[in-house]
Amino acid sequence: MIRRKPTLAAAVVVSAALALTACGGEAPASDLSSVKIMAPFLEAQPPTPDGAVQKKLEELTGKDINISWAPNASYEDKMNITLASSDIPHVLVVQGKSPGFVKNAEAGAFWDLTDKLKDYPNLKTTFPEVQQNASVNGKVYGVFRARNPIRAAVMFRQDWLDKLGLKAPQTTEDLYKVAKAFTEQDPDGNGQNDTYGITIPKWGALGTNSPYDMIETWFGAGNRWTERDGKLVPSFETEEFLQADRFIKKMVDEKLINPDFATFDPTKWNEPFFNGKGGIIVDVDSRVSVLINLFKQANPSDFQNKVGFVGSLKGPDGELHAHPTDGYSGFLAIPKSSVKTEADLKNVLTFLDKLNSKEVAVLMNNGIEGVNFTVEEGLAATIKPETPEGKVVNTDIKSYAQLGTNVTGNNFYPVKQASEYEQKVFDDRVAVMANDLKSAVYNPAAAFVSPTYVAKGAQLDNIVADARIKYLAGQLDEQGLKDAIKLWNTSGGDKVKEEINKLWQDTKK
Amino acid sequence: MTAPVVEAKAPGRAASTPPAPARRRSFAVHFAHYKWLYLLLLPGVAYFAVFRYGPMYGVSIAFKDYVPFLGVNGSPWVGLTNFTDFFANPDFPRLLGNTLILAFLNLGIAFPLTIVLALLLNEVRLSVLKRTVQTLVYIPHFLSWTIVASLSFLLFALDIGPLFQFVNGLFGTNVDILSDPNWFRPLIVLQEIWKNTGWGTIIFLAALATVDQDQYEAAIIDGAGRFRRVWHITLPGIRSTIIVMLILAIGQMLNTGFEQIYLMTNALNRSVADVFDTYVYFVGITQGAYSYSTAVGLFKSLVGIVLIFGTNWLSKRFNQSGLF
Repeated sequence: MIRRKPTLAAAVVVSAALALTACGGEAPASDLSSVKIMAPFLEAQPPTPDGAVQKKLEELTGKDINISWAPNASYEDKMNITLASSDIPHVLVVQGKSPGFVKNAEAGAFWDLTDKLKDYPNLKTTFPEVQQNASVNGKVYGVFRARNPIRAAVMFRQDWLDKLGLKAPQTTEDLYKVAKAFTEQDPDGNGQNDTYGITIPKWGALGTNSPYDMIETWFGAGNRWTERDGKLVPSFETEEFLQADRFIKKMVDEKLINPDFATFDPTKWNEPFFNGKGGIIVDVDSRVSVLINLFKQANPSDFQNKVGFVGSLKGPDGELHAHPTDGYSGFLAIPKSSVKTEADLKNVLTFLDKLNSKEVAVLMNNGIEGVNFTVEEGLAATIKPETPEGKVVNTDIKSYAQLGTNVTGNNFYPVKQASEYEQKVFDDRVAVMANDLKSAVYNPAAAFVSPTYVAKGAQLDNIVADARIKYLAGQLDEQGLKDAIKLWNTSGGDKVKEEINKLWQDTKK
Repeated sequence: MTAPVVEAKAPGRAASTPPAPARRRSFAVHFAHYKWLYLLLLPGVAYFAVFRYGPMYGVSIAFKDYVPFLGVNGSPWVGLTNFTDFFANPDFPRLLGNTLILAFLNLGIAFPLTIVLALLLNEVRLSVLKRTVQTLVYIPHFLSWTIVASLSFLLFALDIGPLFQFVNGLFGTNVDILSDPNWFRPLIVLQEIWKNTGWGTIIFLAALATVDQDQYEAAIIDGAGRFRRVWHITLPGIRSTIIVMLILAIGQMLNTGFEQIYLMTNALNRSVADVFDTYVYFVGITQGAYSYSTAVGLFKSLVGIVLIFGTNWLSKRFNQSGLF
C-alpha cells in the first residue's frame, strides 16, 4: 500500500503534464503584438526568421511576426492538420476552396470579411469579380492573393520552327501540324527519328490548368463549367470536350506526345525541351523565362531564339477562347479560434492592410533597395554581382511573396530583365496576355460551392480525370469515357449540377 | 516465448475452480504475493492506456460529422452514415479487392520466400560466405520506399529502362510497365521481395539455430539426404516460429505499405492501385473528409482483427498452437 502512493502521485503529475501540453498550444487571447502566420514556401529552404527581409517586415508593420512555413507540395495536408490542432495561427494562407476549408468556414471557423475589407484602403480590391470568384457563395473569408488571370501559353523550340520553315501556331490545328513536323521532320537535324512534339507530365486532375484543361477550353468546352441552354453544365459534358480529347488522342496515337505522359515526372518537364527531345510545352507563360534561363546557363552567348511562345490558341471554330485562371491563388484567412474578438480582428486586418501597402509590397516582391535591387526607369534592377546579403534577400523574397495579396494591383516594381532580349520577351508576354484577356472564358461557377461537391467532389472528379487519361492512353474507348461521365452523374454529379444551378439562379435574382 | 505462458496459465485456471469467495481471497493473497511484479507491469499498462487506448476516443469521429473548428465533442453525431456511404460507394468493392489481393500476394509469395531464403542461408556451411550474403540481403531493407520507387522508375522507364527492355523482350511485348494496370501488382510484390525478404530471414535464422543438431546426425546415419533433412527436421523444428510469424504478418497484412503504393500510383493504374490506406490519405488528409476516412480506416482495422482471429483459430485447429 505504501508503494502505491508514489504511483498515484506520478499519475497525477502525468495527467497534469498532459493537460498542460494540451493547453500550451492555444494562443493567449488579444495579445496581438506578435502575429502568427502559416504560409507555403516553394524554395528548397524556408527563410529564417532572423533574415533581413523579416526584420524589415517587422519594422514596417510594427509587429513581431512568427511565420510557420510549410512546403508547398504538402501544404494542403499541413493546413488541414493545423486546423484540426490547437495551435492555430492568426493568419492562414489558404490555397483554395478545398472541402476541408469550406467545411470549416461554414461551421464558422473563419471571420466573414465580406463587409469589412472595404474599410481598409489597401484591402479594398480593385478586382471585385476576382473577390467574388474567391468567395464561398458570396461570402468572403479571406483577402485573395491576386494572380494574372491569363497565363496559358504554348512554348516551342523557336530554332526548330525556323529550321523547318514553319510559323508559330495560331490555332489548335497549327499546333497539331507543328507537333507532327517536330516529330517526323527531324527538327534537330541529327538524321535520327528521336524527337517528338509535345511533352505532357503526370498531371491528371480536372480544372487545374493542366495542358488538357487548356486545350479543352481552346476548343470551346468552357472553363470547368459552362452555360448551355440556360443551364450550367460541367465542361466535360460538352461536345467540345470530346472533340478536344479526340484531338489530343490523335496526337498521342501518332506519337506526337511523349508516350509516358501518364507517369512522366512534372519536375523534369523542362528537360526534354532543353535536351532537344520534345519541342513543345503547353503551360503557364512564366515557364518561358524559366526555359530561356536554362538555355542561357548552358550557353550565355547563344540563347536567343531558342524559345518561342504564343498565348491561347484559336479553336476549330476559328474563335479564340482564352484560358484564364480564377485570377487568384488562394487567400489569407483569419481563424476565429485564434483571433477571438472584433477588436483583435481589426488589429489583424490593420496588419494585413499594412502588408499590402506599397512599401511592404516592394519589400516582399522586390527586396530591399540598395541591398539587392535598385530602381531604374520604374523597373527593379537586380544588383550584380550579388552580395552575400543580397543573395539572402533574393532567396527570401521568393517565399515572402507568398504573403502578398496585391488586391489593388501590383504596387511593386516590375523586375528589369537581365538582357535586352529577355526584356523584349518579357514585354511580349505582357502584351500577349493582355490581348488574350479580352477573350478570356471565365468559370461561371467559380464562386459557387455545392455541399455535395464539398462532400465528394474530388472523388467524383477523379472518375472523369482518370477516364480522360485512360482514354488518351487507349485503355478506354470513347464510349468508356462517356460511361465515366455518366458514372460521375449517377454517383452524385447530378446533385452537384442541381446545387450549382440553384446557387447560380439565386445570384441572378 | 508465448507458448509456455499459455501452458503455465492453464494449471492455475484449473486450480481456481472453488467457489467465488475463496477465489477472491486467493486473488488478494496472489496480488500481495506478486505486488512487485504488478508494479513492474504498471509502466507498460500506463503506456498502452495513455498512448494506445487513450487516442482511440478519436475513433468516435467515424460516427460524427467532424469539423475541426467544432472539435471532437462539438461535432454532431451522424450514426453509421459514414459507413453506409462507404459501403454504397462504387469504390468500396474495388478498394476491398485491391487491398486483399495485394495482401494475399505479398503473403503468398513474399512470406514463403523469406523462409526459403532462410533455409538456403542455413545450408551454407562456409560462414564467411553466409555472413556476407546475409549482410548484403539486409541492405535493401534500410532504403526508403521513395528510393525504391525512384529506382523502379529508372529501371522500368519507357523505352530506355534496362529492365523495361529485358521484361518486354522476355514476353515479346511492348507495354509501359509503370502505367500498365496488369503490371502493377507484380511490380509491388517484386519491390516487396527485393526490399524485405532478406530482413525477414533474421528471425527464421535465429529459430534455425535452435534446431537440435543431434537429429541431423541421426538422420544422416539413417541415410537421409539434404532435402529429407530439411523437410523432416528443419521445417518441423521451426514450425511454431513460422506460425507466429504468419499470424503477425497477417496482422500487418492490410497495412499494404502506403508509401510504396502511393508512389507507384498513377492515373492509368489507379483502378488496381487504390487500397484502403491510399484512399484514407486521399479523402481524409487531402480533402479534409476526416470522419469518412476514419470510418474507412476503422473498417480496415475490423477486417484486420477478423483475419488475425481467423488465422489464430485455424492454426489452433491444425496445430494446437496459436498466438493467443
